[in-house]
Amino acid sequence: MAKAFRASAGIMLAPAVTLIGVFVLLPMLLTVWLSFQDWSTQTPFSEASFVGLGNFREIFGPTSVGRDFKTALLNTTIYTALSVALILPLSVVFGLLVHQREVAGGTALRTVLFSTYMVPMIAVALVWSKLYSPSEGPFNQLLGLVGIGPQPWLSSPRSALISIVLLNVWQQVGYFTVLAIAGLTQIPGSLYEAATLDGANGREQFRFITLPLLRRTLLFSAVIAIINAVQVFEPVALITQGGPVGSTNVLTYHIRRVGIERAQGGLRSAMAVMLMVSLIVCVSALFAFVNRKDSE
Amino acid sequence: MSLAWISKLTLAAGLVALPATGWAQSVNISYLTHWSPETVALLEAAAKDFSKQNPDVAVTVRAVPFGDLLTTLRSQGGSSDGPTIGGIYDLWLPELARDKLVAPAPDAVAGEVKSAWPAGVVSAASVGGTLYGIPNEIDVYALNYNKELFKEAGIGAPPKTWAEFKDAAAKLTDKDKGQQGFGMINSWAAGVVHPFASLLVSNSGNLVKDGKPVLDSSQAGETFALYEDLIKSGASNPAMATADANTTGPFLDNFVSGKTGMIIMANWWESALKAGMGDKFANIATAPIPVGPSGDKPHSISYSWMTVVNAKAGEAEQKAAWEFLAWLNSPKSGKNGASAMSDILMSMGILPSRNSDIEAHKDKLGSEFLSGYVSVLADARPFPVVLGGQEFSESLQQTLEALQYGQVSAKDAQANAQADATSILERAAK
Repeated sequence: MAKAFRASAGIMLAPAVTLIGVFVLLPMLLTVWLSFQDWSTQTPFSEASFVGLGNFREIFGPTSVGRDFKTALLNTTIYTALSVALILPLSVVFGLLVHQREVAGGTALRTVLFSTYMVPMIAVALVWSKLYSPSEGPFNQLLGLVGIGPQPWLSSPRSALISIVLLNVWQQVGYFTVLAIAGLTQIPGSLYEAATLDGANGREQFRFITLPLLRRTLLFSAVIAIINAVQVFEPVALITQGGPVGSTNVLTYHIRRVGIERAQGGLRSAMAVMLMVSLIVCVSALFAFVNRKDSE
Repeated sequence: MSLAWISKLTLAAGLVALPATGWAQSVNISYLTHWSPETVALLEAAAKDFSKQNPDVAVTVRAVPFGDLLTTLRSQGGSSDGPTIGGIYDLWLPELARDKLVAPAPDAVAGEVKSAWPAGVVSAASVGGTLYGIPNEIDVYALNYNKELFKEAGIGAPPKTWAEFKDAAAKLTDKDKGQQGFGMINSWAAGVVHPFASLLVSNSGNLVKDGKPVLDSSQAGETFALYEDLIKSGASNPAMATADANTTGPFLDNFVSGKTGMIIMANWWESALKAGMGDKFANIATAPIPVGPSGDKPHSISYSWMTVVNAKAGEAEQKAAWEFLAWLNSPKSGKNGASAMSDILMSMGILPSRNSDIEAHKDKLGSEFLSGYVSVLADARPFPVVLGGQEFSESLQQTLEALQYGQVSAKDAQANAQADATSILERAAK
């Protein structure tokens, strides 16, 4: 009986497992294999030659290859950390605002917030590059009205990455607000009624009811926000081209430059493997942290 | 044989021959470029003229931003369905030829090119003596300056030496007006490296000599120091220097709006200046690159573009592509003995490189703006076309940008640039 069950389960799972194997696992394994090879992306795999850890030594080494990779890794980390740190609290704040039934225009606000997520990144990037224009940009004109001098935005290595983060936050926060609202609707209203009877004020209710019960939603949001942020590509390719001084050169853009423009397939694969490993470590650490809190 | 049988056999033969006839009569080729929509329209019109004379060949034109051109060629050029023809920058040729993405020119085309173009341009379109592309444009760098700003600052003539250049840059700088004396460029490899290289060769220096980087020379040291001086004195503001993926952006905006007194740029941006300045374009003049303390006379950097054919395209497509390119670049296709390609290039202010085209466009090349470029062409040094050239260029870009933003000193920038260039060119040569 158990044998027949296992056989039928295997048959039913086979199509999905085969598809995942061919389209997900195989490319991943191929990338890992290529990361140990010296290979040009314009030549067949048969021409790859084994170089051991040579590619990894190079991307962490002192030459321009290593320097550019380490800068791109750092930029991606800063971009991801800032994006998540801004998006999650904002999504909860907007979620709480929209979730209040007595607030007039809640549905309109929800629509406006989510609409930014539906605008294609190409349009967002083109519009924001003009908004950030140092001479004629509306942002600097608005700052001028309150007596603040023009800011360099995308023209300075100090502010270019942060400017791209702000663009990302503007576009993504609506989507995460919808997730936060979904989480808020799962919290029973009776808990707030009981807390009110016990004399808890709004701040205490938020701290001891809302936030703990939103933990699972926030974990999911954080994981998605991290993955989205790590994959940032379009605004960099469309607006800054990784500059100035490599300050917006993020890993996906750098990997594309190394792998496609320079055809250095081995180095590109080593960088992709490091990106994959970093992402796995980061998401696993997040899950471990939340699970530990749950067990406490 | 009955009439019915004859009819059946004729029909069958017709059906069998139909696909082959259709295939033989229609060859579709595609042309990948980074030109603007207005220029693409001119190329499409030329392609239409060609198709009138060659009804079996259809040419479609596809444009991508400059920043995506090499990537598109590399990612799609490896397949027979990729672009049949690509317009490329000469620096990319050695690697595209090494990776067998571009086809050698047929003997007839190679013979024509060798006899009708200057030898230096032919050599930039060749690797190991084999010609891979038909050269079209040649670009050279010169000093562009705003005559109105010069007048306001009391400067009578464009600077001839670096001392005069620094003096003019200081006089043209007015921080209260948001005005800089000399405009550098960042976030675009050629825009950063070519003006620096022009100043370097005007100081008797070189980027690469005999395949090896020579950025550790005293002439290069003086050029890095010049950049440091211009930044430290405030005569050049890196925040006004950013370029975007279309090689436009704030650096161009600042020059056309009269916020930049001088800039070193190539002739091809004439159309961008005209579009941005309108009547005020008359304020812009061209002068040779100022000569450095170790230099003898003005020099600048030149580079060329060419059209290449996808080596993975089918035999019929490759043949049609070479025929189209040979026609497009021949004196038969344009007006008054010029090629159609040169007419397209001249619409953008770009210098054609075919000898007969230079002759045919003599009048227009004598315009106030372009004549300044034509005059420096004879003493221009070609940008080094070596394996790893693009990576070398991007690495030098990073170093120069770090210097622009005060992240490194001129001395450290020079040492970093030489070390990086050595490792990049050695790895590429392996």
